[in-house]
Amino acid sequence: MNALGLFDNDYGEDGFRTCSVTGLNIHRSAENHVKLFGLTAVVALLVGGIFAFTVAMTRWELVGLLRPGEFYTHLTLHAWNLLIFWMVFMEIAILYVGGPIVLGRKLPITRVAKAGWVTMVLGALTINVSVWTAGGFPDENAPLLTSYAPLESPPAFYAGVVIFIVGAVVAALPFFLTLWRERRENPGKTLPLVAFGAFITSIIAFEALVGGLITFATTLLWRIEAISFMDPAWYRQMYWTIGHGTQQINLAAMVTVWYFITHVVGGAEVVSEKVSRTAFILYLFFINLGAAHHLMSDPVVSSGWRLFNTSYAFYGAAFASMIHAFAIPAGLEAGRRKRGKGGGLFGWLTSAPWKNPVFSATIFSIILFGFLGGITGVVMGQMQVNMTWHNTFATVGHFHGTVAVGTTLAFMGLVFFVIRTMFKRNLAFSRLASTQPFLYAGAMGIVVLMMMYAGLLYGVPRRTAEVVRNIPGTDFSLSAAAPLFALLGIFAVFAILAGVVFVLVAVGSLLLGDRVRPGDNADLRAISVAADGGQSSSGEEKPVHAYGMRGTFLVTLVFLAVFVVSYVLNWYLLTELWQVGL
Amino acid sequence: MSTDQQESSEPGSPLTWMRDVLTGAWRDLKSVYYANTTIWRLLKSATLLFFGFFLWTGANLLLSYRADWGFLYYVMAYGFVLLLWGPLTHLVVVPLVIRMRRSSAGTVGRYIARHGSVTNLSVFLVIVLILGTFPLGVMTFEFQLTGGAGNDVNPQLQCTKSEGTVHCHLSDASGIDRVVVTSGDQELATVSEPPFDFNIDVDDVGEVRGDKQFLVVLQDENGDTLRRYSRRVELIPG
Repeated sequence: MNALGLFDNDYGEDGFRTCSVTGLNIHRSAENHVKLFGLTAVVALLVGGIFAFTVAMTRWELVGLLRPGEFYTHLTLHAWNLLIFWMVFMEIAILYVGGPIVLGRKLPITRVAKAGWVTMVLGALTINVSVWTAGGFPDENAPLLTSYAPLESPPAFYAGVVIFIVGAVVAALPFFLTLWRERRENPGKTLPLVAFGAFITSIIAFEALVGGLITFATTLLWRIEAISFMDPAWYRQMYWTIGHGTQQINLAAMVTVWYFITHVVGGAEVVSEKVSRTAFILYLFFINLGAAHHLMSDPVVSSGWRLFNTSYAFYGAAFASMIHAFAIPAGLEAGRRKRGKGGGLFGWLTSAPWKNPVFSATIFSIILFGFLGGITGVVMGQMQVNMTWHNTFATVGHFHGTVAVGTTLAFMGLVFFVIRTMFKRNLAFSRLASTQPFLYAGAMGIVVLMMMYAGLLYGVPRRTAEVVRNIPGTDFSLSAAAPLFALLGIFAVFAILAGVVFVLVAVGSLLLGDRVRPGDNADLRAISVAADGGQSSSGEEKPVHAYGMRGTFLVTLVFLAVFVVSYVLNWYLLTELWQVGL
Repeated sequence: MSTDQQESSEPGSPLTWMRDVLTGAWRDLKSVYYANTTIWRLLKSATLLFFGFFLWTGANLLLSYRADWGFLYYVMAYGFVLLLWGPLTHLVVVPLVIRMRRSSAGTVGRYIARHGSVTNLSVFLVIVLILGTFPLGVMTFEFQLTGGAGNDVNPQLQCTKSEGTVHCHLSDASGIDRVVVTSGDQELATVSEPPFDFNIDVDDVGEVRGDKQFLVVLQDENGDTLRRYSRRVELIPG
């Protein structure tokens, strides 16, 4: 396992080394598997990004790259490679960081980890090939992400999904065993916050993956006629256990990464461990209830069920997100003020290492996930307002705000971090690397805005190749929305270019980057203790929460104002849709 | 001094607190406005760009429902101009003003140093006032979408089944040039003459999982798809 010298570091005889940045004791078994899963994730990002180009250039109908029949194939592969494979491979890597690496343990049952990786790759390849080669009747149905029964997709597709999910569950087992052994050996010891966050992520992942296994195994049996009947309503209900469950894994993993990176690179300190951990616990109990918002227009479930899940219970999780949205920047502000790096209202932020793409990617992830993805998710997740968002391009804007901007930026920053601290390579094309998060965040942010405007202002539908320039057979025209698509298309090109730059820097660093020498990684280290999310031992008298957080308070007030305005505007739109009474 | 006056000027009094908050806020606003590091310039420009989009589209949306809320034209203009003026101010004007203050060379330089920011803001507000009063076409979103003239091609496809044959016809044949019936890769029927009725043999229809399905595609004279219907033989009455 030492291709190109990428899987070797200076380990001691016991297989451990001490990271000069985080201070963590890292065993080669854990580190090598983090690298393996991380590299695979970047490959998936590249494949999905290619299809992002073809899809974007089709939705920008002035270009109109693909015919409708091809569009769905490309859209399916764009979705599966980015939303599932890029995310889940990274999340397994994050589990191995949050578990054995943070806890200073070996990765147990490494053969199981490798078996999981092989199975996941096999599943991913099967899905890609089956969708790409689908043809003939009725396999012409490209599944998209949702593969709603009774539409039939190729049997190999369903089999591939089952294989991938099994692989992910298997790959997660070493993490669970790590925690089991840690608790057995140290029963009175609290898990560090990052490990705690990873643990919550793993439980949410388990729920999502097992739900998906039940769904797709049954659907495969239906597809090969081993069972004769598939209830479409049952499928829809069950599908979203993994459909949205995987997004909740993304959220929990991303928040864990935020705590980790802001602490190590930014000098953040957790202001209240209790509050942050409580927020993770709230995620555990409430977050999967949010999947009900995919059934808002479903005739089978009652309004009461929908209202309870999406407009009441889910807010337990939304509250948790509000906690993290305050706690993470507050921890950064207070931590930096404590280190003498704050000044005025925002000096703590502007004095931070913005040239370091690890830091800038993480901060843009936090800001844009909140303002673009988070607000729109809570707003459109209400049953009533959902009527104006459902199946429009605005929905696509929401999940590009959360996943394509928020989670992807956080994971990009993490990949850069892993390249420097685990692969021990300096980033190639350093100026390009520094600029990349800015370019991606800005361009993709504009793309997301245009998607939302097209969907909300004009009702442009999602999942269709041709609808703006010409709808044959009717005088009705959405051509007034064309300027929005022009902006979308242009900025999508910039965003995809930024993605290309990321892959170029990542791969270039591994192949051509200089080996890190002692002192090279000093800019990554804002803290002097282990990167487990714990408190500083710098000997300061004042606890971190004694330091001001007024900058964070102001930003969250602005966030609240944007939330309120979005709420009011959306409800106003809804009231204008139907006239009640005279 | 009266008791009331003493109370209002003492530390901790509501008036003092309010004054301190407002003074502090104004000071912070100025310090953010004049912050000149690269990251500050970028963050301010990006924030104002997003804010500009927010105001521009929000005002357009509200105006489409509330055409009598004329003040929204000024909000729209503010957002529209801010798209350019926000980045221009913080990427160009503020750095220039600060540089002029440091070098203070020449009459023009001194003018920019002293009055550059106020001039910039004044020009911005004047442009907003003008565009708010005389909105440009490019500022306004077109929401009066065409349509509803009754030219939709949206007939019902009615099918019946008897003795191994499926017969289908359209409720309205206008606007259609051709009807193509397929099942999988096989073309079962092509009809080019109105009223586009057709018959297909059930045995010719392809099946999967015991389910026979066929597609009916209505096309215009360019060959573009107007409407597409999927039918399962089992569900056809007869």
